[in-house]
Formats: sequence, structure tokens, C-alpha cells
Amino acid sequence: MSDPRMHEAESATDHQPSGPLLSARFRKHFAAQAQEFVLDVEFQAAPGFTILFGPSGAGKTTLLDCVAGLTTPDSGRISIGNRVLFDVAERTDTPVAKRRVGYVFQNLALFPHLTVEQNVQYGLAHLPQGERATQTSAILEAFRIPHLAQRYPREISGGESQRTALARTLVTDPAVLLLDEPLAALDAATKSKIIDDLRQWNQAHRIPILYVTHSREEVFALGERVIVLDSGSIVAQGTPHEVITAPLQETVAQLVGFENIFDAIVDSVHPERGTMSCRIAGDGAPVVLETPLVRGGVGSALRVGIRAGDILLATAPPVGLSARNVIPGRIASLEQRDVIVSARVKCRVEMEVHLTLAARDALQLARGREVWLVIKTHSCHLMHK
Amino acid sequence: MAIDWQAFWLTLQLAVTVSAALLVLGLPIAYWIAFSRRRWKFLIEAVVALPIVLPPTVLGFYVLVALGPRSPLGRWWIALTGHTLAFTFSGLVIGSILYSLPFAVQPFAASFAAVDRKLIAASATLGASPLRTFFRVIAPLSVPGLITGAALSFAHTMGEFGVVLMVGGNIPGVTRTVSIDIFDRVQSSDYAAANETALLLLAFSFAVLAVVYGVNRKAWVIGPVN
Amino acid sequence: MVLSAARGRAQEKQNAPELVVAAAADLSTALQEIGDAYEKKTGVKVKLSFGASGALTQQIQNGAPFDLFFSADMDYPRQLIAAGAADGPSLYQYAVGKLVLWVPADSPLDVEHQGIKVLLDPSVKKIAIANPQHAPYGRAAVAALKKAGVYDHVADRLVLGENVSQAAQFVESGNAQAGFVALAHAVAPAMRGKGRYWEVPVDLYPPLAQGAIVLSHSQHKKEAAQFLEYIKSKEVAEQLRKYGFTLPQN
Repeated sequence: MSDPRMHEAESATDHQPSGPLLSARFRKHFAAQAQEFVLDVEFQAAPGFTILFGPSGAGKTTLLDCVAGLTTPDSGRISIGNRVLFDVAERTDTPVAKRRVGYVFQNLALFPHLTVEQNVQYGLAHLPQGERATQTSAILEAFRIPHLAQRYPREISGGESQRTALARTLVTDPAVLLLDEPLAALDAATKSKIIDDLRQWNQAHRIPILYVTHSREEVFALGERVIVLDSGSIVAQGTPHEVITAPLQETVAQLVGFENIFDAIVDSVHPERGTMSCRIAGDGAPVVLETPLVRGGVGSALRVGIRAGDILLATAPPVGLSARNVIPGRIASLEQRDVIVSARVKCRVEMEVHLTLAARDALQLARGREVWLVIKTHSCHLMHK
Repeated sequence: MAIDWQAFWLTLQLAVTVSAALLVLGLPIAYWIAFSRRRWKFLIEAVVALPIVLPPTVLGFYVLVALGPRSPLGRWWIALTGHTLAFTFSGLVIGSILYSLPFAVQPFAASFAAVDRKLIAASATLGASPLRTFFRVIAPLSVPGLITGAALSFAHTMGEFGVVLMVGGNIPGVTRTVSIDIFDRVQSSDYAAANETALLLLAFSFAVLAVVYGVNRKAWVIGPVN
Repeated sequence: MVLSAARGRAQEKQNAPELVVAAAADLSTALQEIGDAYEKKTGVKVKLSFGASGALTQQIQNGAPFDLFFSADMDYPRQLIAAGAADGPSLYQYAVGKLVLWVPADSPLDVEHQGIKVLLDPSVKKIAIANPQHAPYGRAAVAALKKAGVYDHVADRLVLGENVSQAAQFVESGNAQAGFVALAHAVAPAMRGKGRYWEVPVDLYPPLAQGAIVLSHSQHKKEAAQFLEYIKSKEVAEQLRKYGFTLPQN
């Protein structure tokens, strides 16, 4: 049984060769925020972590439900390796209980009337008593919760509940693991410990893991691959770096946090220098930025994205700088957000700039102060409209 | 004491039999109502609720005439059991099952529907069949509703009068229930006996309901803990 | 002019009294016809409430707003007189009722020739009678069974109707194989032709002397008395005879 897709997975660079590939292509009508969407996706997930990233209402949970069999797609095919879970053409629809798809829900869904131990054992009913007990205690150890065995879900903390939910799902040796924003309510320390344990487990059990999150930090912490979902469609796929640091599409840019996005028209190109000039319409004269060279001749319309954290602020016109873009402006507002100060600067367009508290104090910044914005060429990210 | 203990015992037997039968029959119906997504589900819900609004005389009429020995269904029943529906304990049981059906099915269905759907989904993803999911997740989390349904059917049957009056035939030890006994005493001007019996029935029914509602307050939390 | 005429007619309708009559179950067809005839004759509407004589007595004693009571015996009216609920002098025995043993038309029992003996047939699983505790016809049936010596054989097969009409209905629907009902039922249009019957010999049970009486709480004593006079008339006698009642020898 040589499945070409399996060979593909094995030759993929980052992953250890092993387990079968989750392969899915399907359509499903779904409703979110009082609107009707169509979830229309095609993707593959190799053993390891694949992050599913997108805003609420994008269809991430619906996607997981379709893979698990809790929702039936309108058309398409879902398979793990050679095992076909769903195929409209062949009228195959494996019942949920037979799919061996592990699913940790957003609200965990621990059985409130069963102890932690009973919860974890729930999926092992087909095993003889002795083996059941062995496997249960092994996974409780692995997730560091053996001391909670006789407690009830209402008696344990959020992090302990998470571990229990994971243990319960993983002990059944699933072929695919689906995690729906499982760590959202936890603090950073607990989160990272759980992620470590999960990684370790994944080393030993090479199965595809679909991990849903809307947190950028988690994408970087976990991801080997990211799939970005928006309004029912996959708008980007790739490594976290590819998708987030140089996003190719504006929807993704908005998702991943470019605070400043503008319409721009290419003014002139300088292929020998690898740069081009773009004009951004503003109050009065346009702002001209020097940006990296991308495809598109003079006059083409693009979008420019600049991160607030990539912009420098000066209280006097700077001299001797390498940066090619220096724009004068005035501080319109200053807002402290935790340990970051967000400044809105009017400079014929309005830009958001992030500074440290120390910087604000040292420069004695205040509303109305005249400032100069400094933006490196390579901090300007160009995107197709 | 002028209390007809035979009538009391008979009524108790009737109520217990009917409640037990409704636990068995009512569960599948309630399950279907709680989880089905068919568009015509509302029709079944209306049929189940009918006995609440129909006078018991309608049911009595059907048992007597439409299911009587002159009807095909009635004849089939006689062939099967050797006697009519009317004038028999089993006839009363069947009539009472129909009459108390919504009092069992509605609380059952409500408590099933209140179980967090994610728990049911979790059970399925862990490999449990729908039957196993029912017994290990849905039912244990619906105990308050099950108890309520059983208690209501029991109490409702204890007090049943209209159907019994129409088709019972007032046979001592077979169809002469407490409610009929009280009615007869009143008709014969034996107010003292009627009063004693009525008070006993009142006290008994109250005690049963009080115990059930008292115990029911220690209910499971329906829904996941997080 | 038109307005006052209309008002006048409305007042007429208001003024025409209504009589509310409590009547034994065996009179359900006969008294309906008599009441209709009376209304045509005098304009007085007669509203009828049928039930077991004992049940009706209970209701009257507890204040039910009837004007007249037609019992299936003489004892219940006497009970009411003693309780002060009825007008003693108005007591009138209007008929003597007859008990019959009735079987449905498709029954294999030859009740017309065998009479009470058919009850010993094993195919007779249930025998319907009115509840003897508060229905005169029920008491008569029990008396007849005892006098005929078959009571012990059939006691466990008796089913009791609330009144003699319900007993008739049990048999007619086929749920009981035989039943003791009023002759008035057996010959009424609703049941005639649906079954066969045997008149129970009058020496087997105390006579069903049926008495009518005006009630003390009546708001229309004059009209009630007039109706009772009408009952004594020849035309009513004919009606009653048609339904198998015999008239008392005055």
C-alpha cells in the first residue's frame, strides 16, 4: 500500500518520518455572528503540530467538528493515511465513535459526575481491567496529575482540568488530535508546562495535531505549520514565520497585528537598489515611503503595512541615520497599555507607534509635541490588495 | 375505621405499575424528543402532550368503544389476552399509561436536553456508542428529571378518576380505586368514610411528593465544570 | 315603536320560566320527549339532568338548584322530604319501572327463552348492573339475582355502572356480555334493534315504584307544580306506556 501522500510527508524537512497524514478537502455551510458562511477548505496535516489560526467566526471549530464527525460536511473527503473517515462520493461517513479522533473541547467537557481517574478511563472500556488501570496511571504520571485521581472536576484548578482533559483524550491512542483553544484561560507558566508535556508526548506518538488558537504567541511557541482561516476560507498556509512575519494577504496582516496599514500607489521603482517609492495619500501632500521592491510597476495599487513596534520616534530632526524614511508629525494622543505606550502621531496620515515607558519619560513626550517618525525601508511590508 | 384498604392497595399497585412502565416506555420517547432534529418533531411533542389537555372521558370513550370488542384493535386484544380492555386491571394500566404519559416524558426530555451537548460529543469522540453515552453520561446527569417524571406519574395515577369511572366497572380488588371509593361514599351519603379516605390519600400523596422534591435538591450539576 | 316591540319580546323570553329537572337515568329518552311536548304546549322550557337517583339525591341535599326530581324509586324522594329538601305533599308516583336482562343482537345467548339462566353460560365474562349503592335499578338487579338463586355464581363477574345508563352502555358496546337495564332503555330508539331482552318477572324484585317531587329550593314552585299536573295527564300516560312503564293503579 504505497500512498504517495505518505512519501511526501516523510520527505518533508522538519518532521520526523512516521505516522499517516491527515488529508481533508470539504465544504460546509455554517453560521457565525448571524451570517451564513461556507467553509471551503483543502489542507493536509502531517504528524506534529499544525496551528489553525483565525478570528472568531472564521469557522475553526466547525472545521474541527467536521474532522471529528460531529458535523457532516456538504461535500468532500477526509482521510487519515489510508483510512477514509468521510467521502461523499463513496457515501462513507464513519461514526464519531469509530474515527479514533481525539478532541479536547474549548470548555474541556470533563464529566462532572466522574472522578478524574474515571474520566481518564472513560475511553478505555474495551480493555481488560488490569491494562486499563496500567495505562490510566501511566498517563496520569505523564501529565503530572496522579494525586488528583479521586477528585472530581469541580474540585481541581483550571490547569489541572486541562491536563485531565488531555490525558483523557490521549490515553485512547487517537490517530489525530484536535485541540480547540485549550490553553486560553491559563496563565503563561501553566501554559508552557502543559505545552512541554504535550510536545514530549507527541515525540513518542507521531500523530497530526490540529491546534486552534487566536493567540499570536502560541503560534510561535508551538507551530511547525500554520493554517490561517478567515470567513470559511484558508487565506494562508506555511511556517509561522512565513505567514506572520511577511504576510502575503491583508486579512492575515490584520490578523497578525500590523497596526498601520495604508493604501499606496507605486511612484517609482529602483531595481538596482532593490527598493521602490510608494505614495500614501494624506492631508495635503502625500507621504512618500521607500519600501522594498516587489512585483508591480509604476502606478500599481498596493497596501503597505508597518508595525507600531518598528517605528522610532525622535524629538529633534535626526541626522546621520541609516533609515530612509523620516516623517515629521505631531503627537495626537498617548495611551499607556500595561508596559507599552501607544502614541498616535499625525503626520499627514495617522500612525500608531509603540514605545517603552522609559522612552516616554526620557523624551518628556506629551500631546501636541512635535516629533519625527523614523521607519526603515524593510519595516514597510507590501501586500496585494 | 371505614377505610377501604383493598381499594388503597389496588390504587398503590396501579400507580407503581404505571410509573415503572412509563420509566421503560417514556425514556426512548423522551430521548428522541430531546435529540432528534427532524422537522416534524413538533407533531410528536403535541401528541405526547395531548393527555394534559384532553378530558379523561375522551380516553375512556376510546377504551370503551373505539378499542372495544366491536373494533378490530379490540378484537385483536381479546384474542391476545382473553378479555376486554374495560373492566380489567391491565385495561386501567394501559389507560393510565396513556393518561400520565406527558407527566413522565416531559420532565425526562427536559433533563436530557439540559445535558451539555459537549459532554455527549466528548463521550462519542472517546469511542462510546450512543447507548453507552446514554447510560454513562446522559442518564446519570438527568437523575433529577427522571425522579420528577416517575414521581409525577405515580402521583397522577394515584389520583386518577375519570378514566377509571368510565371503564373500570367498579370491581372490588380489580378496578375499584380509592378515587372511585370516595366518589361512591359521597353518593351514598357516607361522608365520614369519604372524609377519612380522602384525608389518607391527601396525606400519602403529599408525603410522596415532599420526599421526592426534598431529595431532588441534591442534584448533580448539569453541565461541565470549568 | 319597533324598539319597544323588540324590547317587549325580549322581556317575554326572559319571563318565560325554565324548569330544571333532575331525573333518573332510565327516563333519559321518555322524559326528553315529554319535556319537548310540554314546551310546545306552554312555552315553558324543561331542562333535564340525568343520573343515578342516589347521586342526584346527594346533589339536591347539597343545594343543587333543581326544581323537580324524578327518582327511580320512592325512598330517595322520602329521604329528601325528611331532610326538608322537598315538598312532601307534592310527592307523586308517576310510573312503575321494569327491569330487563339485555344482550346485544349478535350474542349467541338465547335470553328471550332462557332468561336469567343464560348468565350461567361460560361465555358470559362480565355482567353489567347499575351500582346498587345508589341506583334503584342496581338494587333491583341484585335482588332478582339473589331471589333467582344465581347471585353467588355471578357475583365476581359483575361490573358496576355509575347509573343504569352506563350499565346499558357497557353491554351495548360489547364490553359486557349481558346486563340488567331499564325496559325504558331496551325499547328506546337508540337501543331498540341493537339487542334482545327478557323482562325479569316482577316477583323477583321489589317493585320499582318511581316517584316525582317538587323541591323546596325551587324558585318556580308554581310552574313546577303545573308540570307535575301535566305528568298526570293522559298524553303523558301514553308516552310512558310506550317506554314500557306501567302506570300505578290509582
